[in-house]
Amino acid sequence: MITLEHDSLVFRFPEVHEHAKTEVNFQRTLRIPDNGKHYPLPPGLGSFSLKHLEDYADRIPANWRERGGVMMPLYQAEAMWLAFCGRHSRDAYPFALKIAAGKINAVSGKAWNTGLAASERDYVVVPEQPWLDGFCVAKDVVRQFVAMPLGSGYSVEEQITGKPEHGGLQIIACPMKKERYEEIARRRAQERQRAGSRRAYMCDATVGAPMRARAPAAQAMGLAAGGRMKQQIYADPYGIDAWEQTASSRCFVTLVDAVQWREITGEPPAARPPTAADYSNAGLPWFDYYAEAETLAGAPALTMVKSVAELAAEKGEQVLGPDGDVEPGNVVQIGAGTRGKPRPVSESRL
Amino acid sequence: MLGFGDYVRKAREALVETDLRFSLRQVAQRIDVEPAYLSKVERGLVPPPSEATIVRLAAELGEDADVLLAMAGKVSSDLQAIILRRPKQFAELIRQLKNAPNHAILKVVREVRDGNW
Repeated sequence: MITLEHDSLVFRFPEVHEHAKTEVNFQRTLRIPDNGKHYPLPPGLGSFSLKHLEDYADRIPANWRERGGVMMPLYQAEAMWLAFCGRHSRDAYPFALKIAAGKINAVSGKAWNTGLAASERDYVVVPEQPWLDGFCVAKDVVRQFVAMPLGSGYSVEEQITGKPEHGGLQIIACPMKKERYEEIARRRAQERQRAGSRRAYMCDATVGAPMRARAPAAQAMGLAAGGRMKQQIYADPYGIDAWEQTASSRCFVTLVDAVQWREITGEPPAARPPTAADYSNAGLPWFDYYAEAETLAGAPALTMVKSVAELAAEKGEQVLGPDGDVEPGNVVQIGAGTRGKPRPVSESRL
Repeated sequence: MLGFGDYVRKAREALVETDLRFSLRQVAQRIDVEPAYLSKVERGLVPPPSEATIVRLAAELGEDADVLLAMAGKVSSDLQAIILRRPKQFAELIRQLKNAPNHAILKVVREVRDGNW
């Protein structure tokens, strides 16, 4: 079962184990420049607001209603990352998570399917994987998730399938088998290892969005490939037989153009986040997370995808604001085995 | 069952075993209270702090804020506001579920609907 709690999707499987619970939260962040450099991890600047689609049934297109799930607002060219496990990651129950954008798997670049297969390596394992910032384009490199209007040709979905059909994000969660978890829990009780909790980082993300002309009816957004970031996608350390594949829950997250959010929900969207240049010039920290674990190589289909900047140059369009020269001078080491700080994220309850 | 202060102290001490940033002084600083005060809270020498402080403390320690608030004998103000909007209905619901097992209570919560896609 999936519930929506404090702007997080909470997946529970009480029929598998009373502790079988994980969370997925969507974090606002800086858009990193797409200039060939590989950037460290940007911070979390607060959760995106999540709403049940069915609560606004009379203000959204019929195909959105049919999909169900939740929706969240992003501005064109705004970036995001997914945070896993929530605040209680210390003894988190392991899950296999598949993440797709426009029904293109963000790890493997292949078409969405709901099963887990060892050969495919198309899922992440939490809590080992604390977050996902983009499409896995090379070993230890992702291209940042950047929202673009579906139908504009920029999204990864449109580049791979040729059609602007789905947009949004798709998530499926599969818990670990009970017996395997209990074995791990016994070991953890001895090791008492902490997976790194999230702490509010107060960044004044109050840059005002420029006024735009009234937007047409509900604009769906897809995810395109932004700048390059250093991020490890960890291989499954438990093996395919560890997962209770008879129990899984899926969710469709519709991405809505933030300009239309007020029309649909009656609530204003959050202000645009700061630019990466402004953030760095203020001396605020970026993050470098490292863990000793096997990591996945880039997906062949995703390595061929063009970034927003590349496509915009080809089309002669100006869709991104100026990135500026960004040199992250303050990079904090975090991660398993270090005494560094955790990657800050703002939590909606704080 | 542990009291609020004992629970907080044990949770923090478990964290400081692997991460020195969870010393009493540093946690107190981050949640914006005096270390001496936090020490008294942990030792049960003073009543639990305010809702806002408990919420910050829960976030620091990776604990559930509602659970910590309940241990302090409090209910979060957002829950109170929800109940007060429809007191009769929520009171009836809570009384009916008083002895229900956890999985039965979870069945009542609002699930995210999965559609056709």
